Amino acid sequence: MNDAGLKEVEKEILENIQICLKCRMCVDMCPTYEGWFAQSSAGRLMAVNLHIKYGLGSEEELGNLLFSCTTCRRCQSRCRMLSTDCSPADTIIKARQYLVKRAESREGKRS
Amino acid sequence: MNKGIRNIVPAGHIYVRDNILEKGSLTGVDESKAAWAKDLNLAERAEYTFFAGCGYQHMKYIEGMMNALKSAEKMGMGMGRVMGIGKVFSKVGIDIASIAAKVTASKEDPYTNVLRKAVSVLRKLGVDVGYLGEKEPCCGSPLYYDGFEDDYAGHVRKNYEIFKSSGVKKIIGLVPACTSALKNVYPKYIEGYNVQVQHFFEVVARRLEETGIRPAVKEKIKITYHEPCQLSRYLELVSEVREVLQRIEGLEVVEPDAEQCGMWSTCCGGGGLEASHPELAERIGLRRAEELLETGASVFISSCPACEMQLAKATRKLQRNIRVMDLVEVLDQALP
Repeated sequence: MNDAGLKEVEKEILENIQICLKCRMCVDMCPTYEGWFAQSSAGRLMAVNLHIKYGLGSEEELGNLLFSCTTCRRCQSRCRMLSTDCSPADTIIKARQYLVKRAESREGKRS
Repeated sequence: MNKGIRNIVPAGHIYVRDNILEKGSLTGVDESKAAWAKDLNLAERAEYTFFAGCGYQHMKYIEGMMNALKSAEKMGMGMGRVMGIGKVFSKVGIDIASIAAKVTASKEDPYTNVLRKAVSVLRKLGVDVGYLGEKEPCCGSPLYYDGFEDDYAGHVRKNYEIFKSSGVKKIIGLVPACTSALKNVYPKYIEGYNVQVQHFFEVVARRLEETGIRPAVKEKIKITYHEPCQLSRYLELVSEVREVLQRIEGLEVVEPDAEQCGMWSTCCGGGGLEASHPELAERIGLRRAEELLETGASVFISSCPACEMQLAKATRKLQRNIRVMDLVEVLDQALP
């Protein structure tokens, strides 16, 4: 994946996160939520946003956070019904693909 | 696989990816794909093609692998939480995973039988299905969900070539994840994708309506239905499944809270999570099982192999005598 393609995916992810109203309606919908905000879909989106924009958090931590999502889409249904429909679950999957692509373009496909 | 990706993606998911790309199945255990359909005499070409998927065929191995991993942990081999299945076994150098899976596979295998029963249900309802047998590819959806989009795009195009060369026009899928991928994700990566994909319960609900058959179970049972995520929120088939459930006479369906069933059914923690976060997956499974236990039902019914495994494990752990069944099994029993 070239840099232009990577930027495009990045833009798409950030645009989706921008729509998020941070109303936290989805938080207690998330099956992995056990009290910490980062264990919910909105928290994951916030972590992705901070990582892409300001480089906060290491890739390992963000990967661990993103891969603890079950992609069950409960947050997404709730967001569609009660909030701004920013498709959190799809954005989390996109963010996983983005991280993998970025590592590939940085280090080459095989090494 | 470069180091950057190894840092990001949990080892369990990388293991699954390598299996799909190199061995063409979820666990990499080389099992004949036509084995379950041996004496069913399924033609290769028919109006509808039945897509069996890896889920039901490999669930016994996945269960075995998880058990092997757990007992290894108990023996004090110090396998960390983050350490996935793959890393552990590939370190040894030989493909211990698939050997261990074959040895530890549960003897009574409730999962593969579901496929045979699904074909029997379709035949009873007068739907003519074929099966690709050994040629059937793995749908590859874990690649998509685990971030390997480029691998997925290539895999998907290869699959489409197989479909085209075998003359597949209409597919009936049973595993929710495979069906939702074939229906909703494939068109995004293939131009001119013209395969009509339906889920088993869409077809069954329609055929039951058309034929007016009323299935009936012999003994009255009190059941609750656990909706798989991929079926309710990806394929959006809540009402079809409920229709089928309501048509079966002798079933008393009790539902959990309205925020925990149908569109809003809580996740069982299955899917890919047990490959990367097994402890979290177990906790989610226990929570879901407790929600379902509150209904007072004695049988849990679901229609996804991963959900069934999670619920069966959770009820065993909670030491409750609950039977976990697939809706297909109930339907096969109930149909005349």
